[in-house]
Amino acid sequence: MASRSPAGEPRRVLRAPDVIGAARGELDRVGRGALLAAAIVATLPKPRKYMHASLAQAYHMGIRSLPLVLFMAAVGGALASQQTGAQFTGGLPVWVTGSVVAAGVLTELGPVLTALVLIGRVGASIAAELGTMKVTEQIDALYSIGRDPITFLVVPRVVGGMMVVPPLVIVANAMGMLAGLIVGMIAIDGLTATEFIFGARFYFRPWVLFFSVIKGAIFGITITFLACFMGLEGRGGAEGVGRTTTSAVVATTVAIMVLDVLLVPLLKVA
Amino acid sequence: MIEFRGVWKSFGAEPVLSGVDLTVREGETLALLGPSGTGKSVLLKHAIRLLTPDRGDILVDGVSIPSATGGQIKAVRRRVGYVFQNAALFDSLTVFGNLALALDDEDGHRPLSSLRPEAAELLRRVNLDHAVLNLYPGELSGGMRKRVGIARAIASRPRYVLYDEPTTGLDPVNADIIDALIVELARDLGVTSIVVTHDLESAFQVGDRVALLTEGTIRACAAPEEILASEDPVVQRFMHRRFGTAESTPPA
Ligand SMILES: Nc1ncnc2c1ncn2[C@@H]1O[C@H](COP(=O)(O)OP(=O)(O)OP(=O)(O)O)[C@@H](O)[C@H]1O
Ligand SMILES: [Mg+2]
Repeated sequence: MASRSPAGEPRRVLRAPDVIGAARGELDRVGRGALLAAAIVATLPKPRKYMHASLAQAYHMGIRSLPLVLFMAAVGGALASQQTGAQFTGGLPVWVTGSVVAAGVLTELGPVLTALVLIGRVGASIAAELGTMKVTEQIDALYSIGRDPITFLVVPRVVGGMMVVPPLVIVANAMGMLAGLIVGMIAIDGLTATEFIFGARFYFRPWVLFFSVIKGAIFGITITFLACFMGLEGRGGAEGVGRTTTSAVVATTVAIMVLDVLLVPLLKVA
Repeated sequence: MIEFRGVWKSFGAEPVLSGVDLTVREGETLALLGPSGTGKSVLLKHAIRLLTPDRGDILVDGVSIPSATGGQIKAVRRRVGYVFQNAALFDSLTVFGNLALALDDEDGHRPLSSLRPEAAELLRRVNLDHAVLNLYPGELSGGMRKRVGIARAIASRPRYVLYDEPTTGLDPVNADIIDALIVELARDLGVTSIVVTHDLESAFQVGDRVALLTEGTIRACAAPEEILASEDPVVQRFMHRRFGTAESTPPA
């Protein structure tokens, strides 16, 4: 009894002998994550069971994220353009701004800013929702009536995330480019729309857009998967749900940043 | 038949269950008593693998639950209704949504409209008006939630029902209705059940046998009269503190 706090939860204080236990706990967690991923993959061949719900999820996620995605992309594109003007031009022809903005928006800003918006707007609410369902035994209740929470809750969210992020990234890319163009024309002496577009085209290859969209899909899966997983791991009442949600946001943000770096070589493929 | 065989379960250092042996016979209603926090809910959850034992086995109709396949466990869950202590209704769905999810199975996809009369009938059984169908769980009183939880548990016409404190927090009238429902399901449909309760009166009313869980094991399991007549001091203390009418209590 001494090792338990009044709530019956093991205390999360690391004393020296607990390190091994903690490491084992983390390993168990990774194992459970792998099991969840495997269960999701196993459900995929039966689209009848989740497709309808996935489309509904994708629609909701899209509606919730779109305004903020547009805003963030506009700011991102505008800053890229303005900074390029301030730092590069002088020695270089002004149309280079178009290339730099296209490269920045398509490879990084579009997908990453969209992902960050999704973490806040969608990931957090998934973690909170599933975390609440977990601590109020609604997840157990689903099992008890013969429903599989993975098919019923997790797969629609992950598939929905995978479907909705690519179109959002395309919209973000377009918005970023447009904002970059407008700000460039205002802030950079002698830059015309024609020159900006020439610069953008000079850089553009179809693979870059494809890369942008693929990245979006991978981010969409990562965000929704981690949010679902951490929600389902939730424990400890309302306070626990708060903690779950915060750590889901942090973990997902870190994961997206790490993935973003890891995915760089993919751009070089073509 | 549901059999618990030497079930051990711990969450930390101290075991919650330390070798529970309990057999629920076909057709009987077993009332499970025990002080708060002894693991009654934990024990019940093992029957449908919401928890897995550290040691021991649980058999439902001869199927070993801890080692059952996914398909087997799903089939067992359709045959076993589970009433959660805190109802555990799906917040994001209406009462009808909650019942429909349990009425229809995953692959069935019956049209929702065809489920409405059945859902209304389920509510009638637990003494709720069909107007409740359109409310969300957040709009219900605690007692109503509890009764919807029972309605959901019996939706799949289970052969077994596990009630985790079905009458706690209900007014006496509704508690009696639920007790009567438990008896009726047992009598008319041959439902086998375990009823976890703190209410001794209801335990003795619904239970064909009464079991007492203390300190991680079944301390006693027998017909109500035998339990009341038990010489075991632990059983006596539990019964007498909670049930002042037992013979050996001096008249007030
Ligand atoms: N998922 C869990 N994780 C950790 N500890 C748990 C978990 N579930 C139950 N426990 C612990 O197991 C013990 C028994 O809990 P349980 O809910 O079974 O009690 P109970 O007999 O149903 O009590 P009550 O009559 O108050 O409902 C408690 O100490 C509880 O803290
Ligand atoms: Mg309990």
